[in-house]
Amino acid sequence: MNYKELIQKLSDRTGNSQTDTKKILGKTVSVITSQLADGEGVSIPHLGTFGTRMTNERKIYNPHFDDFIIVPEKRVVDFTQAADLKEKIRFQVSSDE
Amino acid sequence: MSDKITFKELVERIAQETSQSHTSANSFISELVELIEMGLKSGQPVSISGFGKFELRWMNERKGTHPQTGEEITIPGQNKVVFKPFKALRETVNSPFAHLESELAAKKVKSLPREVKPTETKASGSDESIENLIFERAIPPHLLETREANENLTTEAEPETTGNQSSLSGAFLTDAGGRRSSYTDESSVNIVHEKSSFNWSMAAAGILVMLAFLLFFFVTQRSGEPDSAAPQESIAEAPALFNEPETAPATDLSPPVPPEIEAVSSGSGEITSDEIQIRSGDSLWVLAERELGNPVLWPAIYELNRNSIENPNQLPVNFSIQIPRFSDTENLTKQERELVAEGYFSLYHWNLRNSPQEARYFLWVAGIFSEDLLSKHADEVREEDLAFALNR
Repeated sequence: MNYKELIQKLSDRTGNSQTDTKKILGKTVSVITSQLADGEGVSIPHLGTFGTRMTNERKIYNPHFDDFIIVPEKRVVDFTQAADLKEKIRFQVSSDE
Repeated sequence: MSDKITFKELVERIAQETSQSHTSANSFISELVELIEMGLKSGQPVSISGFGKFELRWMNERKGTHPQTGEEITIPGQNKVVFKPFKALRETVNSPFAHLESELAAKKVKSLPREVKPTETKASGSDESIENLIFERAIPPHLLETREANENLTTEAEPETTGNQSSLSGAFLTDAGGRRSSYTDESSVNIVHEKSSFNWSMAAAGILVMLAFLLFFFVTQRSGEPDSAAPQESIAEAPALFNEPETAPATDLSPPVPPEIEAVSSGSGEITSDEIQIRSGDSLWVLAERELGNPVLWPAIYELNRNSIENPNQLPVNFSIQIPRFSDTENLTKQERELVAEGYFSLYHWNLRNSPQEARYFLWVAGIFSEDLLSKHADEVREEDLAFALNR
């Protein structure tokens, strides 16, 4: 399901116009993003928890230069699925469409 | 994981920002979650623009231990929801650490074995490399003077352009300071090298690498030429030559300064010249060192033979060449200084045609030897080069 379909279905369900839906979804995203940017988490029931964690500095081998490159530490988004969502999709056969 | 905001807070904030009631914001999120769930259930990834993509990933069956009993169990394969943040989100989240960059780990040194071949170095007649080494000693006093005067300019000089790979003689490298230390052409640019008295071990290593490169270059270049005399001559010279990078710093710090060139003796008559034959392995620099006693004066030879030398970096063997006879190389007459300056000036023009990036260094040295000449020819040079020569 891509963004367009998502907006379409969401506006059908909530009764908002698609423009409004886009706006509200945009706000939601920006609230979550700003939380994550502060290094804080957001948990959404039935979906999961967003948080951040640090990756360690690590060495990778670059065959092109025949040399090792040190990749610095990074902060990445960490998503943990909600337990009930996990149960629901556990044995779902995924279809790559 | 750090502080989390709850669903309630999230709803509050969204309601506030979109000026909606809590109920509608609440139901909006519920619907959103439900839709994501539906999408995942149908096996499709769900992407939210500007945020990320939710998708299922199949985790293979694996072995594990029961957390309570400790017995071994098989965890069956199952799906898992993974969230892949899009670039915008990744960057926002990582922004406090965005200044950290990947860097090369300890560099592998590959060319070491090739460098340690002292005898062969000269055998191939690597003129420029010798020139570079010699220059560190033979730096004339007036150049040392300028060096001092320009001490504070060195930092500015550092981000010099990187090596001009296409040059004919191909002597270039980066020394400890990241500055170009040796250039296609010898003297003027070596003065730049002279100035970097810091970190000499690096500089010496750089010179060694360069020697190796020149060896390679000349072997390929001169394989066709008859070269019988060169090897013996070279073996004799090689050890001394090879020590020079190490001794150079000492000479550099307490330079064996010969008497001032600035004290120009009263102009004598004409500059006389001799004719000599070019031997294998000779370059203008080597000739100036051998015949005149100071390699920095090599452009004077070039100036006298400008019509017959096409490329100052490559001399034809067994070719007769005019060598000027200076009365006292440490104490040049005004006329002699002008000859040298003229030589540098001609080389400036030659370099303008052949490697424009280096040309300005010749102009600079020409100005050191004779400022009159520089002002005389001021309209024949590029403005930026003149500024460079005057302000350096």
